[in-house]
Amino acid sequence: MAEGTGRGERFSIWFFVGILPLLYGLILVPYGIYEAMGHEAPTALHHLHPTLWWGLLLLLFGTFYVVRFRPGKD
Amino acid sequence: MPSIAALTLALSTRQLTALSPIDIVVLVLYFVLVLFIGFYVKGATKTSEEFFLAGRQMTAWIAGLSFVSANLGSLELMGWAGAAYQYGILATHWYWIGAIPAMLFLGIVMMPFYYISKTHSVPGYLKLRFGEGARGVSAVSFALMTILMSGVNMYSMALVMKVVLGWNISFSIWVGAVTVAIYVMLGGLRSAIINEVLQFVLIWAGAALIPILGLMETGGWQNLKAQIAANVGSDDYTHLWRTLGHFRENPMGVHWTGIVLGLGFVISFGYWTTDFLVVQRVLSANNLRSAKMAPIIGSMFKMAVPLIVIVPGLLALTVLRNPDGSLMHLVGEDIAAATGQHSYNEVLPLMLIRYCGPGLLGLGITALVAGFMSGMAGNVSAFSTVWTYDLYGAYMKKNAPDSHYVAMGRWSTIVGMLVSVGTAYLVAHAASIMDYVQALFSFFIAPLFGTVVLGMLWKRATGAGGFWGLLAGTMASISMWGWVKSDSSALRYIALSSDAQPMAENLYRALWSFLICVSVTWIVSMMTEPKPEKQLAGLVYGATPLPDDGAKTIWQKPIFWACVVFVIFLVLNLIFW
Repeated sequence: MAEGTGRGERFSIWFFVGILPLLYGLILVPYGIYEAMGHEAPTALHHLHPTLWWGLLLLLFGTFYVVRFRPGKD
Repeated sequence: MPSIAALTLALSTRQLTALSPIDIVVLVLYFVLVLFIGFYVKGATKTSEEFFLAGRQMTAWIAGLSFVSANLGSLELMGWAGAAYQYGILATHWYWIGAIPAMLFLGIVMMPFYYISKTHSVPGYLKLRFGEGARGVSAVSFALMTILMSGVNMYSMALVMKVVLGWNISFSIWVGAVTVAIYVMLGGLRSAIINEVLQFVLIWAGAALIPILGLMETGGWQNLKAQIAANVGSDDYTHLWRTLGHFRENPMGVHWTGIVLGLGFVISFGYWTTDFLVVQRVLSANNLRSAKMAPIIGSMFKMAVPLIVIVPGLLALTVLRNPDGSLMHLVGEDIAAATGQHSYNEVLPLMLIRYCGPGLLGLGITALVAGFMSGMAGNVSAFSTVWTYDLYGAYMKKNAPDSHYVAMGRWSTIVGMLVSVGTAYLVAHAASIMDYVQALFSFFIAPLFGTVVLGMLWKRATGAGGFWGLLAGTMASISMWGWVKSDSSALRYIALSSDAQPMAENLYRALWSFLICVSVTWIVSMMTEPKPEKQLAGLVYGATPLPDDGAKTIWQKPIFWACVVFVIFLVLNLIFW
């Protein structure tokens, strides 16, 4: 049984925990690269490229959970 | 008090920002996933045990994260960030002494009784221990409170969307209400729990960047403290305990006795150990050890929440600037509506806009929405359970087929959301969301804690004692609230000081109502016939052989982890003393 989602289900709750950050990472990383190429929004500390780094963090976090708890792994 | 129309007009002139297409994609993805989860788990939600208690299949980590996330709604994110700006680091007490000891007490002392009694709800436990009267009072007051709280969450979300993005209040209320109603109606507690775990992760993903970037901008914690002291003219804003010796010496106007006894003991223990909204998450655990560990795991995460709520409020005291470069001063809601300044409750959105461009802004807004919806879902799923088991099933239709109660659970979710929508419009007239909720806590939660804890720990407590104690405590609390509302000078009698401020009133009102509840329960119990001890088995300490939770090694023992958390809690209080 997939953890947390009930009898007969394939997706673990931790898979759902991973999928959203993964998708957000996939959106934020390319956008962060685009921003780093001179299209930064005028926010405080934008020179640190927070969109790119935060997107990368979400991508890694999401990938770990999606791979670790992918359907059919058990 | 401004009308909804006037408020809407006032806010619409000062919309903070707008979402870019990438932000909208981020927000829409979240809504798609939560609705998908509702439809996905519907098939595993056919019996009442599955709908109302998630089949009692949750692991300690899932139940623990859900336990803490159900409490991480709009008030946590918006209200306490605003309170941190207004009162300084004192707001952290609501996360540490106002939560951690109570969560550990729930896990170690109380959870075994809730769990082995196999009750479906806290009012259900009162029925087993004290009889129908106490259950009736508790169920009615709880149902009322959850609906009001759900409405508060809904209105808060709508207001944020209005202030930040210029969205229509009604549009936000209805989108939030319909989404939550769909996923809770389909998947019951299981759906709510999955979404709460997801929302907890999202809240961190969306909000953690603010304190990180804020502390980088101010040059670290020590520099932040120095800058706050320079800006406000004293270092009172960054000490947890040092200023609590007298009501006059701290920004909140409270005394340490109110924080320790009123908040740390009565309100906190009342909320975390008897509010069914949070206890329900733990009852979904798959065994006794998981049920004991869940609040302890939740407490570890709870201790970290001030980083994303309190720190942004403190940072705002130094980094928020007007366009001309001068320091921005936030004000209360009433003044903000009249003058066009930003209010305390806008701290978090203002900080979000300061640091987050397209994409990250969408993530932050999604985190806020997730927090609000988590609060709504938690309240409405708890309401549905108490309504179905403790009101409808107890007084209107006993012994119906299981499928009938599941259907009633689904329908009551929809009706509960509709009543919450009505409440949300009512809340629009409340001067301060925080004070409103504090008042609610002390109406119901403080006396309920007195009744439950006496019931669990004192064999001599009788059914009549429990009922009259609960009723007297609740009525006393409402009376004190009404007294101060009609005559503000009455505060000096309730808080025992003429220097006390409204926040102190809430703490002391909770303390008095608890003491009245306990006193009446004791007096009535001593005058009435006690229950035979064998009828108390599984319900009361001393009359119940506690079952082994299956822990073999020290690493598996809940008491070990409770001690670890308590030591960290003490150290944190000393560091920020």
